[in-house]
Amino acid sequence: MRTHVGAALVAACLLPAAAAAQEKPKTFVEARGNVVPVPLPPGGPAPRMADGKVDLSGVWFAGPTGKANAWSVVPDAPLAQDAVPFQPWADAKIKSMSRTERELGNPGVTCAPVGVPGMFTINPYPHQIVTTPGLFVHLIESDNRWRVVHTDGRPHKSKDELEPLYNGDETARWEGDTLVIDSISIDEQTWIQGNGWFHSDALHVIERLRRPSLNYLEYQFTIEDPKVLTRPWTSAWRTYSLGKEDLTENFCTRNENVDQLRKLNEVEAGTRR
Amino acid sequence: MNALFGLVASLLLLGMSAAPASAHHAFAAEFDATNCSEVTGILSKVDYQNPHAYLWVNTTGAGGQTEEATFQLSSTSNLRRGGATYAVLTASLGKTVIVRGCAARNGEKNRYAASFIKLADGVVQRVGQDVEGIFGTKIWR
Repeated sequence: MRTHVGAALVAACLLPAAAAAQEKPKTFVEARGNVVPVPLPPGGPAPRMADGKVDLSGVWFAGPTGKANAWSVVPDAPLAQDAVPFQPWADAKIKSMSRTERELGNPGVTCAPVGVPGMFTINPYPHQIVTTPGLFVHLIESDNRWRVVHTDGRPHKSKDELEPLYNGDETARWEGDTLVIDSISIDEQTWIQGNGWFHSDALHVIERLRRPSLNYLEYQFTIEDPKVLTRPWTSAWRTYSLGKEDLTENFCTRNENVDQLRKLNEVEAGTRR
Repeated sequence: MNALFGLVASLLLLGMSAAPASAHHAFAAEFDATNCSEVTGILSKVDYQNPHAYLWVNTTGAGGQTEEATFQLSSTSNLRRGGATYAVLTASLGKTVIVRGCAARNGEKNRYAASFIKLADGVVQRVGQDVEGIFGTKIWR
């Protein structure tokens, strides 16, 4: 057992001085694996490719430490972004789901393909991005998934050629130093986020990636879905930082959660009757 | 003192800029964060897979009979990076360990999600989310 200095310091900073002076530091279990995070410095300018565009290549972890932060002593701050403007029927549908039902519909729980923007929003593990002039390669550790997108601004496939795909029909272009990835024809089985945010066949996803410095990557996405939302919605910019580790193998080969949650759903349904 | 202020500033910076990464699933949907206990027994098996690794501990029930407790751990991604490698966990096979776990909400007996294991060599090793707030790390619910 020990006193957790980092958490006590953060708590002290957030409390009024008088209250902080009286605050007794809480005692916590010391365990190997707890992380006291240290943010990376900017690290200098972002590298550029032979064509002068920003090179987004690297292994990227969510947050500012360049490492996994699942067991960090600092909680994730809520993102400052607008509420999602659901149409009333869509809002009611999401709110009608029990927590267990939301879990059972979440591709991140069932190990179904997470799609776009799920590769960022329904993925707690690192990303490896490789950019070359004309190409964006995105590998994620979560279930060893990947996508490859041309960055030459080519048009989407014609209507006759489109089919519903988990990652949709994707094309990308550079707007200054920001890579803009545009996706349509996304399979309705995917979710935008793991909280029940489903979508229609009219979904249009616009993702933006930029590298403000060597050690940092930022990601933002816009959702246009006129059958589900009242207007387009754009997320806050999310911060990722450059890791020094390789991705590891992470295939979803033993998923007991679905059966367990189904049993729980039956218990809860019985309780409700 | 400057070092102290530097640490505080760094931690606050982290709090402002961290990008939330959603977990594989919400812990509290499946396990009861208010029904947690420490189980002592012999580590009988480790299955190092995803989305969760599992381990099994043989315990002695109230009537003296052997019971098997199943513990769900984090993913191999989090375990490896947190020091709970396959080699570390399997080194305690056949030996006495203590595992802290929270019970399944669906009523299945002897099924838990684990937060730490005290290994046979005495090391307390993190293996799962902090749902009780016992580590001072971020709390997952």
